[in-house]
Amino acid sequence: MTLPHPLLKLDQVRRHRAGRPAVERLSLTLDRGQILGLLGVNGAGKSTTLAMIAGALKPDEGRIELDGQDFATHPALARGLLGWLPERAPHWPELTVLEHLQAHARLRGLRAGGLKQACESTIERLELAPLLRRLAGVLSQGQRQRLGLACALLHKPRLLVLDEPANALDPVQVAALRKVIREEAAAGAAVILSTHLLAETTAVCDRVAILHEGRLRHDAALDGDHAALEHTFFEIAMNGKDQAA
Amino acid sequence: MSSMGSVARLELRRLLVRPLAWVLAALTLAQLAWRFVLLLGNFLDNQVKLAGTPGAPGYTDLVGIPLLGSTLTMGILPFGLTELALLVVPLLTMSTLAGDRANSTLPLLASSGTSPAAIVLGKYFAVLLWLLGWLALTVAMPLSLAHGTHMDSGKLAAAVLGLALTLAALGAIGVACSAFASLPAVAATASLTLGLALFTANLAAQKAGVGNGVWNWLSLSTHLEALLRGLVSSADLVWFALVIVIALALAIRRVATDKERG
Repeated sequence: MTLPHPLLKLDQVRRHRAGRPAVERLSLTLDRGQILGLLGVNGAGKSTTLAMIAGALKPDEGRIELDGQDFATHPALARGLLGWLPERAPHWPELTVLEHLQAHARLRGLRAGGLKQACESTIERLELAPLLRRLAGVLSQGQRQRLGLACALLHKPRLLVLDEPANALDPVQVAALRKVIREEAAAGAAVILSTHLLAETTAVCDRVAILHEGRLRHDAALDGDHAALEHTFFEIAMNGKDQAA
Repeated sequence: MSSMGSVARLELRRLLVRPLAWVLAALTLAQLAWRFVLLLGNFLDNQVKLAGTPGAPGYTDLVGIPLLGSTLTMGILPFGLTELALLVVPLLTMSTLAGDRANSTLPLLASSGTSPAAIVLGKYFAVLLWLLGWLALTVAMPLSLAHGTHMDSGKLAAAVLGLALTLAALGAIGVACSAFASLPAVAATASLTLGLALFTANLAAQKAGVGNGVWNWLSLSTHLEALLRGLVSSADLVWFALVIVIALALAIRRVATDKERG
């Protein structure tokens, strides 16, 4: 059975930031169970794209559909459907890890037993038990990334948006992150993650999109050929630089 | 619980785990207790004189209401609750939205499907709850002696209503300043300046002998003074409601445009 619409659809999305085009006429779709890696050099428009998908930024033009509905007219769709880990995992420094999880669960509409269960399972899954009473402000960057990921996963979203999720994680934590991403996709969630690390993309993604200067330059399934992806990426990145010069 | 309730709970938690709110509460309540003792001392010293004067002011006029604000007494006693509120409210509200903007946590709230109105109102109600608790503890001081004196409860209730509305209006102005500022310190400065300007807008008019002009109407102290005297009029209540609604509407509008500004 084919579903009538993709879980996420971007249609001719444009966005300016700081007076210059950050994302230009971007169109892409993402289906349930897919893991899309969004690649690009710094300033390519990855974080802006993800912030728009997460509902934190409004496109200047174009349309974003979540589960077939226009996100601009149904912003509350984000509540149960979407989990977002922004770059650098922002947090409230005066709250503990447990208070963060509880606050995020409440913001996502979880209550009483559901909230407790969601927190407990996420704590166990991301091995946050030793950190529960610690203030978020004193966590290391890697621990904050794990906390941010936990907050994004708490309510079992159907679309997981991860901005540089492997930042500051050690190799063991990176392996755990990859496992979580694969489990989410296996459970039917769509995952979109941005990174500038090619190895990260080839390790977990089944599709890759390359952004350069706000434009989508490449969108194809990954065949596991790391060298071919590297060649494509550098060609786009270097050509873009040549054109800009 | 609605998303507004979730934001209010989160904000209240943040307020209660920071030392600032506790330090402010401890210092201001200690100062108010000192003012209460001084007012009570004056009242007891003048008992004989007051007893011989027909229609003389009583405990409510000389102790209860002056504790809340010195606009009527203008004495050299320590500050009343109103004057303290001009400083305390900006400090309490400065981080509500400017802090979230500085921490980059405002987009997190937006991405959870929480509307700008729910974000602003949730934060406002959390601050308001703290301020009403502060007012309740202050009012508890004169009320603690109510059994041993003749309390004019109607007059005190009008004064408490005036103070509650003043705190609500200053809180709304503080949240609005926090919504427009990128740093909490800027929000506190703007909120303090606006509060002082609103409070003293009628001073020049009064010195010029104008008692019923636009500046008098604009001033917070004009409307508060009437309530402190025990006069509850719908015109004063509407003034407070207007200030609160305008300030919160501006704050909601500013948070909504954050998605467009980026």
